[in-house]
Amino acid sequence: MNKQSAIKVQNLVKHFGKDDNLVRVIENASFEIQKGEVVALIAPSGAGKTTLLMMIGCVIEPTSGEIWLGKNKVYHDKWLAKDTRRIRREKIGFIFQAHYLVPFLNVLENITLLPQANKVSEKEAQKKAMELLKYFEIDDKAYNMSSQLSGGQNQRVAIARALANNPEIILADEPTAALDGERAVSVIKMLKKIAAEQNVAIITVTHDERILPYCDRIMKIENRGIVFHDVDDEGIL
Amino acid sequence: MINLAARDIKHTLGKFLVTAMGVGMLLGLVLVMIGVYRGMMVEAEILLNDISADIWIVQEDTLGPFAESSRVHEDLKNIIRAVQGIEKSEAMTFQNIQLPRKDKSVLAFAVGYDIHGAINPINPKRLVKGRNLKNDHYEIVVTDSTGFKLGEEIKLGRNYYKVVGITSKTVSSGGDPLVYISLKDAQELQFLYSNKEIQNDEARGIKNSESYRANAIIATIKSGFDIEKVAADIRKWQHKNVYTAKEQSDILTKNLIEKSAQQIGLFTAILVVVSTIIIALIIYTMTLEKMKVISIMKLMGLPNSLIIEMIVKETLLLGIFAFIFGNIFSHLIYDKFPKLVVLQIPDAWILFGVVIIASILASFVGVKKVISADPAAAIGG
Repeated sequence: MNKQSAIKVQNLVKHFGKDDNLVRVIENASFEIQKGEVVALIAPSGAGKTTLLMMIGCVIEPTSGEIWLGKNKVYHDKWLAKDTRRIRREKIGFIFQAHYLVPFLNVLENITLLPQANKVSEKEAQKKAMELLKYFEIDDKAYNMSSQLSGGQNQRVAIARALANNPEIILADEPTAALDGERAVSVIKMLKKIAAEQNVAIITVTHDERILPYCDRIMKIENRGIVFHDVDDEGIL
Repeated sequence: MINLAARDIKHTLGKFLVTAMGVGMLLGLVLVMIGVYRGMMVEAEILLNDISADIWIVQEDTLGPFAESSRVHEDLKNIIRAVQGIEKSEAMTFQNIQLPRKDKSVLAFAVGYDIHGAINPINPKRLVKGRNLKNDHYEIVVTDSTGFKLGEEIKLGRNYYKVVGITSKTVSSGGDPLVYISLKDAQELQFLYSNKEIQNDEARGIKNSESYRANAIIATIKSGFDIEKVAADIRKWQHKNVYTAKEQSDILTKNLIEKSAQQIGLFTAILVVVSTIIIALIIYTMTLEKMKVISIMKLMGLPNSLIIEMIVKETLLLGIFAFIFGNIFSHLIYDKFPKLVVLQIPDAWILFGVVIIASILASFVGVKKVISADPAAAIGG
């Protein structure tokens, strides 16, 4: 395995159901994503984008195949780690279509929640959170509730939350879907910058062609397998 | 670590407090129900404690005047007085009477006693106005809850009785206000028939000899004598049932109040179960409202223990707040009940323990929901 590899998937298979009701979603998918890379995952609706993302994120168990996260093999026909939730907590950051901030926590608490669950001290977690908020230029909102922020501000908090546990991988599920053009571009630029500066691999599921030019590669699910495209391929969506 | 339960409650404080108040009112009713039972226990023993007799001599094969009809000859008191170990003995009557008022009559429990005798059932500490009975006839001491005032006249049977004294908080085991009249008046009220009835009986050859009867002879024992032995002697030689103060207390509390206690106990248990179910439903609803957030927390990798801790803490806090509101509620309403309600701190602590256990049980429904929450549900939708 390449030392710069962040995600490696080999012969990954995911089926749902059995016998007559068998649905083959992913068949023998193999790919590798390097650290610092931003990859767009595209496919028609129902083609298995979210399923693939959730398998990489150790949320949905594949039917068979192998998955490496960084240097660690986490799946080989079964989960190799006893606690997949711990892998997510320590290695992966998630960004969703909506911000999905915890509504009863303020901005700072939303960002420090995961690091504190990782046994980082409250003080240290808050220091890191304030740095992230400064980075995203919303440090003045640290003690606000998410209901007091705009959509764009909330999405920036959600990204800061995904970065708070120093993840090696960020999995984003249509992070710009709820944003207008300018804000969508701003978010993908931000992700691109983070990937470069923090050497984080980012996979973002998207239907939004506005953000494709800012990605390094485009990964498309075609005939249940993975095909890579250049970002300047026309009519890719 | 961030206290998720405290943050969530703070976020929906108004809703939480109103919910706790609602459950608190139920718990308040539980406390009042227990208080009613305690009140019955206290009321049952007021008369016994005020009379302070060591033994009660009643009609053979009966449980005595508080449980069933009992008639003994008044002069039995003299025979009892002669028994070795007896210090004082007096005859007494106990009967329910209606005290007529302008608006409606008051049901009371009348104690008849020999005003020249050695045992006075009126506790001087309870006599708040007026005096004890001084004359053999037509005087009455009433308790304040009857509403009669000093000097007022009450018609009982053929005669008018003047209120000469007022006691406070004296009630019978049934919760009826106590009144005190002389033994002679009581015998007349209980045993003397109307003139026409006497004439009728005489025509039938029946001679009325009831008016020298009483319902019980009560006695105190000299120090150094064994109550049980003295009671056994009387039982053997006088063909009467004899109860010690403890036995009489048991008749009143266990025999007479037992059914009511079971009734109250059942109501209390049902209320506790209903409260538990309501807390469980509230927690279930609160958890359902947070399912998306819980799925996201699980997806991000937060351990179940952290989320379960939040649910259990919220349930416990709901129970504790409800308990506090319940206590406040019960203390606000307990004196509005017609019968005595005694709120005791140990009962409140027991209820607190029950509430904590009920809250932990109730939290299981929320915890089950948390465990079953699918982290994949956080994506999409």
